[in-house]
Amino acid sequence: MTVRFTLNGRPVSISTAPHRRLLDVLREELNLTGTKEGCGIGECGACTVLVNGKAVNSCLVLIGQIESAIITTIEGIADGANLQPLQQNFIRAGAVQCGFCTPGVILSAYALLSENPQPTEEQVAAAISGNLCRCTGYKQIIEAVMLTAQERSAE
Amino acid sequence: MIPRFDFVRPRSLDEALKVLGENSGAMTVIAGGTDVIPGMQQGDARFWATQTVLDIHHLAELRSIVKDGAGWRLGAGLTFSEIAAHAHIRAEFPLLASAAASIGSMQIRNRATLAGNFVNNAACADSVPPLLVYDARVHVRSLTGEREMPLAEFLLAPNRTALARDELVTEILLPAVPQGYAGRFYKLGRRRGIAVSRITLALLLKVDATLVEDVRIASGAVTPIGARFPELESDVRGKSASDNLWASLAQDLGNAVLERTGLRWSSPYKLPVLQQALFGMLCDLSSARRP
Repeated sequence: MTVRFTLNGRPVSISTAPHRRLLDVLREELNLTGTKEGCGIGECGACTVLVNGKAVNSCLVLIGQIESAIITTIEGIADGANLQPLQQNFIRAGAVQCGFCTPGVILSAYALLSENPQPTEEQVAAAISGNLCRCTGYKQIIEAVMLTAQERSAE
Repeated sequence: MIPRFDFVRPRSLDEALKVLGENSGAMTVIAGGTDVIPGMQQGDARFWATQTVLDIHHLAELRSIVKDGAGWRLGAGLTFSEIAAHAHIRAEFPLLASAAASIGSMQIRNRATLAGNFVNNAACADSVPPLLVYDARVHVRSLTGEREMPLAEFLLAPNRTALARDELVTEILLPAVPQGYAGRFYKLGRRRGIAVSRITLALLLKVDATLVEDVRIASGAVTPIGARFPELESDVRGKSASDNLWASLAQDLGNAVLERTGLRWSSPYKLPVLQQALFGMLCDLSSARRP
């Protein structure tokens, strides 16, 4: 089957098998390996991408379901070699350790900040509660998101 | 690994019903996919015979929220994010809004749909207890007709509903809640995020001066399917509201659940929690009324 969608701002048309998940197509056919597979059943959030601006688990979406949708992956949020402020702040706050959960967490936080530019810590924690991180203990992640929100409000 | 299948993406609800009516045999309907896809991924026997997947997630006909004379009609394909954020649902059906906000994770709520939560009739479906205390009705359609029934009758037995193979749930009808009702939703899982519920309870209460005019109780996860407790409810109607009445009602709920499930390894742990939760909610609601 052929599926057309917008990926990181560019139109994509791909011929693939209907049982492929969005995750499989991103990683194996489009070579966008920033999106990770963890549990494969929607519980860890490592495969989080944005579909029409909303955070979703790409392991729970069949490729045919994203016809005409706008998809953003971790590769699509930096401006060329310039990282997003959110990415910069993950580095600054020490929110990246092994890094496996990081693309997913950043996209969940990115979706939150797009809808709610000034979240409370509680709202940040809720927004990333679908992303498991076994390294950081989440404290530095929440700090990085709050830092980004504060910088934006100072601008 | 997900098995191979064909994929059909209809352009309208009518087309979906036509495809389903003509090929219902080995067809699996998918909306948000948060139950079906992990099921397939894990080799669940429910999907062994699947030859075709019919996607209905994008159908606009299943995404509306309208108010009519009888109450609200919610599209079967609304996501839990949409339900949790909807101002009117939050105001008029707060138990449903809190259940919606508690389901899975943000990523799951952005995909998972209202009808998708109960069409497989899993005991742990969080939206079911609130829908049951609101006396929700289910509207279903097929190529040849449509029918409507109370959710309580739609849910037959664990993993079984009244939905025929050629039918789709199209709407959930919520009758307007009369003045004077207040309610609570309770959920206990092993953690707060992405947890399968161990206990859910929905409670609606109307107390007139000091008399219990109406009480509606529904449980999930602790009973084989989400269900109301009509005997307990009628027992307390007309009685004088007091902490003693609430204590005996909570006690009776524990016994009623035990009767339905038999003794399980988890009963000594869950039943006291269930009883305490109901007692706490009842006390909380009646103290909120006191001046």
